[in-house]
Amino acid sequence: MSEKNLLKGNIAIAKAALNCGCSCYFGYPITPQTDIGEYLSLEMQKRNLAYVCAESEIGAINMALGAASSGEKVMTSSSSCAVALMQETLSYASSDELPVVLVNVMRAGPGQGYIFPSQGDYNQATIGGGNGDYKIIVLSPSSVQECIDLTYKSFYLAQKYRNPTILLVDGLLGQMAEPAIINENPYPDVDNSSWRLDGAKNRASRNIHSLEPNQTKLNQHVVKLYQKYQEIEKNEQVWEEYLCDDAEIILTAFGTMARSVKAVCNHFRQLGIKMGVFRPISLYPFPYNRLRELSIKAKCFIDIEMNMGQMLKDVRLGVLSNAHISFIGKPVGDWLKKEEIINAINNIIKEQYASI
Amino acid sequence: MQVYSIPKSIKKDSKFTFCKGCDHGVAIKLIAEIIDELNLKDDTIAVSSSGCSVLLYNFLDVDCLEAPHGRACAVATGIKRAHKARKDDKFVFTYQGDGDFASIGLGESMHSALRGENITAICINNTNYGMTGGQMGPTSTMGQYTTTSPLGRNKEYHGFPIKTAEQIALCDGTQFSARVALYDIKNILRAKKIIKKAFECQKNNKGFSFVEILSSCPTNWKLSPQDSHTKIKDELTKIYPLDIFKDTTND
Amino acid sequence: MIKNFIISGSGGQGILSIGTVLANIFMLSNKFVTYCPCYGAEMRGGSVHCEVNMSDDELLTLQNEKADFVIALNQTAFDKFISKVKEGGTIIVNSSMAKIEKTRNDIKYIFAPFTQEALKLGNIKIANSIALGVLVKLLDNLTMENVKKAYEKILKNKKELIQKNVEAYLLGYNYIQEKEYA
Repeated sequence: MSEKNLLKGNIAIAKAALNCGCSCYFGYPITPQTDIGEYLSLEMQKRNLAYVCAESEIGAINMALGAASSGEKVMTSSSSCAVALMQETLSYASSDELPVVLVNVMRAGPGQGYIFPSQGDYNQATIGGGNGDYKIIVLSPSSVQECIDLTYKSFYLAQKYRNPTILLVDGLLGQMAEPAIINENPYPDVDNSSWRLDGAKNRASRNIHSLEPNQTKLNQHVVKLYQKYQEIEKNEQVWEEYLCDDAEIILTAFGTMARSVKAVCNHFRQLGIKMGVFRPISLYPFPYNRLRELSIKAKCFIDIEMNMGQMLKDVRLGVLSNAHISFIGKPVGDWLKKEEIINAINNIIKEQYASI
Repeated sequence: MQVYSIPKSIKKDSKFTFCKGCDHGVAIKLIAEIIDELNLKDDTIAVSSSGCSVLLYNFLDVDCLEAPHGRACAVATGIKRAHKARKDDKFVFTYQGDGDFASIGLGESMHSALRGENITAICINNTNYGMTGGQMGPTSTMGQYTTTSPLGRNKEYHGFPIKTAEQIALCDGTQFSARVALYDIKNILRAKKIIKKAFECQKNNKGFSFVEILSSCPTNWKLSPQDSHTKIKDELTKIYPLDIFKDTTND
Repeated sequence: MIKNFIISGSGGQGILSIGTVLANIFMLSNKFVTYCPCYGAEMRGGSVHCEVNMSDDELLTLQNEKADFVIALNQTAFDKFISKVKEGGTIIVNSSMAKIEKTRNDIKYIFAPFTQEALKLGNIKIANSIALGVLVKLLDNLTMENVKKAYEKILKNKKELIQKNVEAYLLGYNYIQEKEYA
């Protein structure tokens, strides 16, 4: 299937999931991600795979938790306010170390909000609303092709680290179509025979649980999880740099927003201003290290998001006091336009960085 | 001559940690015996839940996954379907309390029954939230004193309890639904027969099977083990009759 | 070169279909392209529009304030999107379902009775393809081969409709004379 096709982000994710061996999908409808479940409902039934129209998102994520214990590749998808319902089980899946893949195609909040585009779930995904010390791997695509590539990667990282993984997709991207290729899944399958629950035949019985009444053991468990998170942070930071090498002003943005931001960068480059764009692709682990390196040379950073500044705190943690940091944002609705961003940057340059 | 042995599906050198006179131990032992008798040990994945029933995996020597509170039937659905997708069917059952199955998890429980999910759910009904110290639960009876109904359950103030086995029997996808008790030998033997039937229902790919077990909670009821069992016999079975409410396994 | 398009009308008029055909034509012509459908709250009969963006380079700006070309297949769409046409841009209007009225003098108007023409061809549903033909005539460097391929891709499960739509498309393509448009 190497032909280039006009593909919607949602459908691309569904096709990629099937293509890399996802055998279990559980979901509940919510705009703007419903195409994923609609597409898979037929395709999975045709292949005798597991598909349940769950009674709720709580049902869906818990079915995913159960299915993941079998070692199969498991996915659920939802959107913002309904992903909020899944937070408890994400905390369980983290403690249980079960590789659940969750696709969140974002809509606007808070509460029910509306189906307008927004990037309001950065905090929900990277910090999470579940209890306890846990981390979830979060990947953020900016094109339909990347929806495919990062779906593959989500399944791989989930299995490799036995950790839940979120693919955080802009609603705009889920609904938008552009040419893309369903290429081969480049990642190997991960052997899970040492932990999966498939019946205690010729081996001791296994149990997977988060309850631990023994204080010492619970401490050890969380410390062990954190050692794993350190590994993830060491190995899996992914980002894109655009004209950053000599940049004095670096714009930061994630997901689809980064595309308009690149267009903005081109505009300023043509005016002779040394500008670049830094786009984190892994939101957890956030690429702090590279951002810190860049901050030593650059004079200022401008973070641009379709929310009120959720990634901003991570940009600050990366840049520290090495450079100025400003923010341009808008909570919901039509994507920030190139011209709006240019005007806002001009104002910032005038007010803050007159010396540049 | 050996007259008694511990079931193979009970973990070696495990000791029940339940309160004196609690029926959880009896229920788990019955389940272990049935797993042995049906030769299911190698193919079973149990789902435990929150509350006293979570401890199942400490005693039962089969693969076990703990579900978040109330979600055991959804978790079991995922397990069952995933193994079916890999063409390696497994025996999957949940072990839940009445608060877990019939209160916080009623949606997941009832929809699993409605879908006719081919799993078995065992619900220990002790008419209160035991592990947290005896609060009013969905099955607490009219007039029952609990730490959150200190003046007794009252229909105007607290509303009515749920008759779980009867409700589950109403779902089209349910193939077997029954209530049993464990207050004397005769009933323990009956319970074993009925739980076995529920397990066989799944083994024969019939659909959802459910057994509610009326169970003692001497600590929270503030009664001796003996008086607890007398209470089940004399009071609870009047409110929660012991019966098979639906059985299509021979159809 | 970047060009932005809005195709608008009501549910059932095949707005999203010709949007996808247009996007596929660009894709087959090795352009960068994005396609965004927008529905009203109603599933049928409500207003529908889609945006198609085309570029020779990587497509960076996704939601654009204004479009170079707008197709409006009914009065509501005409009223709603007339202000979205860029200065110097073109609006193509279905005069069977919208009044001929020129309120702006900084844009070009093309009025044609797509619905009536489609009825003449025996199928009201192919009015959309006639409009698409009119639009593509105004664009450079698109080949008939890619147009046909695009229709074949979109209608691969309804092969019987391909020929009728291509016929409608060609009618549209030849509908407007160059000088009339200028």
